[in-house]
Amino acid sequence: MVFLQQVINGLANGMGYVLIAMGLTLVFGVLRIVNFAHGEFYMLGAYATYYCLKVLGLGYVPSLLLATVLVAAAGIAANRFFFEPLKKEHEFTILLSSLGLALLMTNLAEAVFGADPKYMDTPYSDEMINLGDITVTQQRVGVILVASVLIAAVYWFIRYTRMGKMMQATAQEPAGAALTGINTRFVHAYTFALACALAALAGALVGPTAMLFPTVGDWAVLKGFIVVVMGGLGSVTGALFGGLILGVAESLGGGYISMGFKDAIGYAIIIVVLLWRPNGLFNPPPMRK
Amino acid sequence: MTSQPSRNWAWGLALLGALLAPLVVGNDFILHMMTLWAIYSLLALSLNIIIGYLGELSFGHAAFFGIGAYTSALLVMNLGLPVWWGPVLAGVVAGLFGLVIGFVALRIVGPQFAILTLGFGAILQTITNYWVDVTRGPMGISQIPAFRIDSLGLDFALAQNMYFLALGFLVLGIYACRALEKSRTGRAYVAVRENPELAQSIGIDTFRTKWMAFTVATAMAGVGGSLYGHYLRVITPELMSLTYMSALVIMVIVGGKGTTLGPIVGALVYIVLLEWLRAVGSWRMVVFAALLIGCVLFLPGGLVSLWQRLLQRRGRS
Repeated sequence: MVFLQQVINGLANGMGYVLIAMGLTLVFGVLRIVNFAHGEFYMLGAYATYYCLKVLGLGYVPSLLLATVLVAAAGIAANRFFFEPLKKEHEFTILLSSLGLALLMTNLAEAVFGADPKYMDTPYSDEMINLGDITVTQQRVGVILVASVLIAAVYWFIRYTRMGKMMQATAQEPAGAALTGINTRFVHAYTFALACALAALAGALVGPTAMLFPTVGDWAVLKGFIVVVMGGLGSVTGALFGGLILGVAESLGGGYISMGFKDAIGYAIIIVVLLWRPNGLFNPPPMRK
Repeated sequence: MTSQPSRNWAWGLALLGALLAPLVVGNDFILHMMTLWAIYSLLALSLNIIIGYLGELSFGHAAFFGIGAYTSALLVMNLGLPVWWGPVLAGVVAGLFGLVIGFVALRIVGPQFAILTLGFGAILQTITNYWVDVTRGPMGISQIPAFRIDSLGLDFALAQNMYFLALGFLVLGIYACRALEKSRTGRAYVAVRENPELAQSIGIDTFRTKWMAFTVATAMAGVGGSLYGHYLRVITPELMSLTYMSALVIMVIVGGKGTTLGPIVGALVYIVLLEWLRAVGSWRMVVFAALLIGCVLFLPGGLVSLWQRLLQRRGRS
């Protein structure tokens, strides 16, 4: 039963990782950007939800939606000012620019929101659900359910909508996509906004299960990187399985080995994965030269 | 391009200036800052070998700095070795870690390499943080013995003495980097950076070349860590954190990657701004981040390239 309890907790964490990693992998797939600042949008989402709850006094669901919209808008701005000017540059430069953006956002957050940890309590964070011997908070169940729906929606969106197909085309061959009349700039902005919205939702959903502080974005992006590298950069399916594997592995490792080393487990996994299959477990599209 | 002899002259003059500076300064606090500058310069130079010469972005470099600091402090304190063994052993141990990690990580290039080195760095930091029996955990190690020469009565806990020691190590570092730049090996690095396939086709073993450079860079960072630990006499796992990693990257990029002078200028800018902006608290790092972004977007060659731009403009008019 302890085992099952750990697995359920792991799945709830894993779902959060999946939401973070999906954005990261979409941005890499479509824009070819490894966005070090991705975790900061998670952080922004969590803080925006917190302030909507505390300051504006909105309910949890409206707060979550408002936060998502705000962060998506911030994402569009970030893409416009930090990544679009570097479109033609080496990936090295883009990675550095995103590192700069990450530092900027973390420290601005610290200056504006304060460094003290905040705790966001939602109506669901203290309510327990008992399933036999397993006890889960409603918040965690909510994370699993909402994230599952979101993941399904993203899949459907990419596969069946016009915009999703345009994103696929841009990911496969930007020049070709542009030739067929796709406005790739718009597709890029759209993808970035979608990725940031997913990160913000993750922040709003997972935020209430832990303390909130300005450097939480570092944590989020590190987890996202692990998942994305495990599953393969650019692969959405990889992000899904990678996130769940990481969540469960951490939870079991934390329960049976040591809580302290929990955070190192993910890195141990990616080191093995990268040595064995450098392009990740879920065959991403072949790496661009 | 300035000719070789005049460049050597410039370096010699700079060294003379650095040696005489304490006579003019005479202020302990400024000497302390200058000592830190020399140590940070050494660290930035070591990261520059990876960023500037190899053209790969390592996000785990602070871990090797930390390994050096911990190795040196622990060996000297627990085994009772003479403190002067510290930097040597720190270099060797950090280099060994670099040898193993480089062997694994260098199989991968580009963003994945950056992520992988970030991962190794994070694992090393986690271990340092939680292996409390040995590393004393998050509280860190304090009361680390300073370098000293008893027969001469020299105590290197004092900035006025440590400055010269740190400067000595920095000069060695600069010399090594300059020699590397001019040697066959150094040119092989550049060839591998610019075009790995072409380099391979003329018989350069790309992997071994990179592996060696990575090991040298990590060993150098280890020596820097040792100096830092025995000077400040307190170290914590924080040394391996993203904060220090970003600081080193900022020094190299803002100063100018791929040059010997760049990282030294970058370290100066970092130290001066860090002190100057102390009053503004959290906004300090915002300024550093803005500086990094500004350089990436508008000044890819870093601050040292301003000088060249200026010379070119003058040459044209």
